[in-house]
Amino acid sequence: MPVIPVAGSEEFANRPVSPAETRRAVSDAVRLHDVDAAAVEAVDPLTYEVIRHRLTSITEEMGEALKRMSGSVVVTDCNDFDAAIMDEVGEVVQVGLYNTQLAASLDMAVNWTLRNRCRRPGIGPGDMFLCNDPWVGGGLHQNDVSLFAPLFVDGEIFCWTGAVAHQVDLGGVSPGSWSVAGTDVFWESTPIPPVKIVEGGEIRDDIEDVYLRRSRVPRLVALDLRAKIGANNVAHERLRALCQKYGAATVKAVMRRTMDDAEARLRAKLRELPDGSWSSVAHQDSARAGDREIYKIVLNLTKTGDRLTFDFTGTDPQVDGLINCTYTGLRGGIMPVVLTMLCGDIPWAPGGIARCLDIVSEPGTINNCTFPAGIGKASVASAWATTNVTTECLAGLLDSHPEHRQRLMSACCGTWDFALLAGVDQRGGGFVTMLCDSMAGGLGARADSDGVDTGGLAVIPMGRVADVEMNEFAFPMLYLWRREEPDSGGAGRFRGGVGASSCFIPYDSPVGGVHLVVSAPGKALPLAPGVSGGLPAGTQYDVLLRSTAIRDALAQGRIPTSLDEVGGERELVPVHLETGMGPDDVYYTHWQGGGGYGDPLLRDPAAVAADVAAHKVSRRGAEEVYGVAFDEHGHVVEAATRDRRAALRRRRAGLENEEVPA
Amino acid sequence: MAHVIGIDIGGTFTDAFAADETGRVAGVKTPSTPPDFSQGFLAVLDELAAALETDTRSLLADTDYIVHGTTSTLNALVTGDVATVGFLTTRGHADSISIMNLEGRYAGLGADEVQDMVRTNKPAALVPPQLIREIDERVDHKGAVVVPLDEEGARRAVRELVDAGAQAIAVSLLWSFRNPAHEQRVGEIIAEEAAGLYVALSSDVSPRIREYARSATTIMNTQVGPRLRDYLQPLEAELRARGFSGSLLVMQGSGGCVDSGAAPARAITTIGSVLTGGVVGCMRLAGELGHRNVISTDMGGTTFLAGLVVDGEPVSTTSTVLNQYQLSVPMVDVHTIGAGGGAIAWLDAGHNLRVGPRSAGARPGPACYGEGGTEPTVTDVDLLLGIINPDNFLGGRKKLSRELAEEAVRTHIAEPLGMSMDDAAAAVYAIQNAQTADLVRKVVVTSGQDPRDFVLYAFGGAAPMHCASYAADLEIGEVVVPLGPTAAVFSAYGLAASDIVLTAELSSPTNFPPPPETFNAAFGQLRRELDAQLSEQGLKFASVGYRNEADIRYTMQLAEVETPVPSEELDEAGLETVGAAFGELYERLYGKGAGFSEAGLQLITYRTRAVGGLSIRPRLAEVPPAEGDPRPTSSRRVFLDPRHGWQDAAIYDYRDLAAGHELKGPAVVEAPTTTVALPEGCVGRVDHLGNLVIRYTQA
Repeated sequence: MPVIPVAGSEEFANRPVSPAETRRAVSDAVRLHDVDAAAVEAVDPLTYEVIRHRLTSITEEMGEALKRMSGSVVVTDCNDFDAAIMDEVGEVVQVGLYNTQLAASLDMAVNWTLRNRCRRPGIGPGDMFLCNDPWVGGGLHQNDVSLFAPLFVDGEIFCWTGAVAHQVDLGGVSPGSWSVAGTDVFWESTPIPPVKIVEGGEIRDDIEDVYLRRSRVPRLVALDLRAKIGANNVAHERLRALCQKYGAATVKAVMRRTMDDAEARLRAKLRELPDGSWSSVAHQDSARAGDREIYKIVLNLTKTGDRLTFDFTGTDPQVDGLINCTYTGLRGGIMPVVLTMLCGDIPWAPGGIARCLDIVSEPGTINNCTFPAGIGKASVASAWATTNVTTECLAGLLDSHPEHRQRLMSACCGTWDFALLAGVDQRGGGFVTMLCDSMAGGLGARADSDGVDTGGLAVIPMGRVADVEMNEFAFPMLYLWRREEPDSGGAGRFRGGVGASSCFIPYDSPVGGVHLVVSAPGKALPLAPGVSGGLPAGTQYDVLLRSTAIRDALAQGRIPTSLDEVGGERELVPVHLETGMGPDDVYYTHWQGGGGYGDPLLRDPAAVAADVAAHKVSRRGAEEVYGVAFDEHGHVVEAATRDRRAALRRRRAGLENEEVPA
Repeated sequence: MAHVIGIDIGGTFTDAFAADETGRVAGVKTPSTPPDFSQGFLAVLDELAAALETDTRSLLADTDYIVHGTTSTLNALVTGDVATVGFLTTRGHADSISIMNLEGRYAGLGADEVQDMVRTNKPAALVPPQLIREIDERVDHKGAVVVPLDEEGARRAVRELVDAGAQAIAVSLLWSFRNPAHEQRVGEIIAEEAAGLYVALSSDVSPRIREYARSATTIMNTQVGPRLRDYLQPLEAELRARGFSGSLLVMQGSGGCVDSGAAPARAITTIGSVLTGGVVGCMRLAGELGHRNVISTDMGGTTFLAGLVVDGEPVSTTSTVLNQYQLSVPMVDVHTIGAGGGAIAWLDAGHNLRVGPRSAGARPGPACYGEGGTEPTVTDVDLLLGIINPDNFLGGRKKLSRELAEEAVRTHIAEPLGMSMDDAAAAVYAIQNAQTADLVRKVVVTSGQDPRDFVLYAFGGAAPMHCASYAADLEIGEVVVPLGPTAAVFSAYGLAASDIVLTAELSSPTNFPPPPETFNAAFGQLRRELDAQLSEQGLKFASVGYRNEADIRYTMQLAEVETPVPSEELDEAGLETVGAAFGELYERLYGKGAGFSEAGLQLITYRTRAVGGLSIRPRLAEVPPAEGDPRPTSSRRVFLDPRHGWQDAAIYDYRDLAAGHELKGPAVVEAPTTTVALPEGCVGRVDHLGNLVIRYTQA
């Protein structure tokens, strides 16, 4: 059934609003601190650098506090969270180096809260607002819960701080809140628009209960709420001291100048790059369980002078399923790559950086959907695909400049390989967890070097996976292996980083098996494209092996190292699946690498041989894709390699049908 | 007269400090002698004997023990000059050390580098693929055997590794810390196949959950162990030949030392030994001065190190990062947080003035050294602001060029920013101090403390020039600049004044509280292990103390809090008290209300530290009391505080000062090894041991 528009939902369809317009909307409901341009101009280099450095260290302290206080592996072991400092209207001054998708969406939530909550219930000192409504902002799907807090100085909102983290479960049909069979948002966790959950420094029990009641793991979610409160408290204490020492006006002037500085430097870099247009199409296979359609996101990126225009015209309409994303997801998909590829050497002040970007997108499309489209996996579905098209276009832009091409990277791990386990753990308690192993995706190749093997994801500069032992201690599972997979990185003159695979069995649960939810696209087609002739990374590949004799094998002293050795009945896992795993079932999940750069036939044969020795490329891949010939000792045979490569080129050009020499 | 000697071998200098029971002390310095550091070791002993007006043989004959801090293991790991190691692990998990939990791509990098994500890389592989073998065996999270050890396969793997050139073998199997039987059997098989080969088992070296760090720790231990053994054995023999009959002890990163015979098996624990000397020195001096909480700041030409002493004990960490690899070793928590006097001042692409983290290093060094450096550094600015006397740097051993410093600041900072030379230099000085305050604050706060509860110690060539300023920023009321006989060789003093410290730990993750008998049995086991190790040291201890702690966390948190545990046996009520102590520590770390006990607690690791006090503790002699007021040698224009600008400051020669002398800022004290800046508003007082104690009388 197609999504039916919901009257009344439009007030949550948030778009970025200018500071001036925000001030008009807020009017006299709450006083907003401000400084004039002259004050910004007047900050001397010394004061600027001292305060800027301190703001950075406060953001780091927030992240540190949140990470250490949280109770979710997703946060503590995988760094799927972020923190930011914003000015009085929500423009982001400083963002942490964790999940940059998240922080790039906080501004819209704060801004909406100012405009819509300033009168009733009002915004006062010690208040904190919770939000997980991706139409408003503050996160890309409902699992991203943000908590943001105004800091009052002398009766005015001086600035905001915000913390956001992925929560393991907030209700909905399926455990983990990713309802793979869902067709719209009502199958999922119901979004919570900004609510005042902390009032005057105290948690409101009634609001907290409304929030926690929906979760299958309310205690874990409650612990994370306190982690976010703690992170905001840490920041407020430090910011207050900073204002006391230097004066609020000076601190604000530094905030403004930090954003202005980032903007000016990005503009300067853009001016150095040639004008032009670059385009890319990203596909997603399957929108929900049982669906086998392909959906596309189209980007035409135009660079003119010092501006970038992201035009998504031609993108497919929103669909029944869980893969859509809101406008926040669209922005959150763009920002991480703008930060890592354009701003590696520019301060991460998205408030300033965003001023160089224009977005053209039609509401009702797959990456700018309207309520009540399903968005349960928005962050890693349409938002991620948006990241992939942005990566390909920006890489093309950077590749046109001899110096700036140093900072291009082909698409990283084409998607998130979502596998969620739920059930009863070895201590008899209920558990729900997202398996975060696939955080160790391959990074894209660079213009001068290979992508980093199992180096992470584009959107999280500091991603992390948990040790096998930590997972086995926490959850009822036992790994047969976790290993890098040859040929998973996109071939190229510079190779994309390889991805990896995990293979495990349910283990030691009093009920025997576990519940499994899978949502892992990229099976029908590769999702991480290469750049400048580099090949895409391999596809996602997940297999369930039913009714195996694994326990006998282990007892007999044999640890299988391949699916053939595991045996049993092999089920190829579709993109979306919810099922149970019995005690004799084995799950194998193989996530993706990064795209390659340049023609693989131009890769140094010695580098290919080294890849074969290190199991990054198979012998067959080296011969067929890289055109390298080896002797019986595995050494490169130069003349034969030249011949092979020449033959492969002729075949590519369709010049002849000759056999490629072995 | 029985002596104790501390010898600290750094990359550039070898320092030695000796003390006897009467308070007679001596400190000397000689150049280090890489690659054979033992030559410098022997040379500095000769110098020490000369300083004590005796000969080396007599001094050695009268020495009860020598405590040695060495940078050689750390250097070996950093430069990659290590033994060729073979690695054995559980089938299916060899890639753990290359996946590196993916954090290996950015671990240990500064924020600027992490942000430049496209340019980050993992370090070179710890072990090449041809030297790694997987073996069939598996233990589960409870320590139960899931797959029995394939002994024949293990034997075959060992032979293959030896054939492939392995000079030493590291073994790290999954869950070996819960059940070490398979690792121990593999150890026996290696001994059978390759007698005499250096072997390290992860269940010995780092018996803690998280296989990636445990394996990396075991491998690095194996890389440096054979080299440390080959260094210490001949050194000890040479000392014996020269008449030494005492104990040669080796400093560990844990802040205590172990017998040199035991050091190679746990070689990895020595990587922090040079860094910790300063913190231990602070701890001892603080003991003499009655300070319980100390921030130790050591700023030299190329590094800035910060460590903490809380309640009289150095603050430790349970893990550290080296070459982007995560290591699980208990160590004194020493943070390398800045670039020291060599930090470069520069303009970024937005034309903003920045200081560090890039450093001019020892070569070419600051512009004023005249050794090819053209970029302005903090040291250049210290010179231009009148703090450093160009004719009296390092006691006159190095002449500095004011012109070159000016040139560097003018062309790189002042002219491009349209600032005066004075303003540009003052800005660099102030930014350096404020950043130092930020970084020191982070170190203090992340260990759950408030800087205002601390006394700050400042040593190393450059820290005393800046400490009054960053201490004020941290709202610290008292700063100590150690200037007595230990000043030049403060780390060596720390070594000579150290104890034997042994740590044993047992990872046994469980929901908290476990049954009291389980809990008590774990600590009982650790105590027995430590007692056995203490008796192996072959030393007489003046005292032996034990400290128990348990790493506890809220269920599923990454970070455990090291929670103190009383050393007696505990019942259920006692365990509840431990849980409450965790809650309090947690709130101190993360703020009131942050704790959430409903989530449940988990205990991950039990740990016991045994401290064996050595029989001689160096005593510091008192300096004579002052007669009359201190007399400045001269005065010059200095810039110490942006609020006051350029001022006339009295210049004192430290050698003219005596106990009780009080100096009012603005003033500068020139000592042979450093220069102390006293801004307006603070007073420096020479204490009875010759240290300069700085207090602010006005903000």
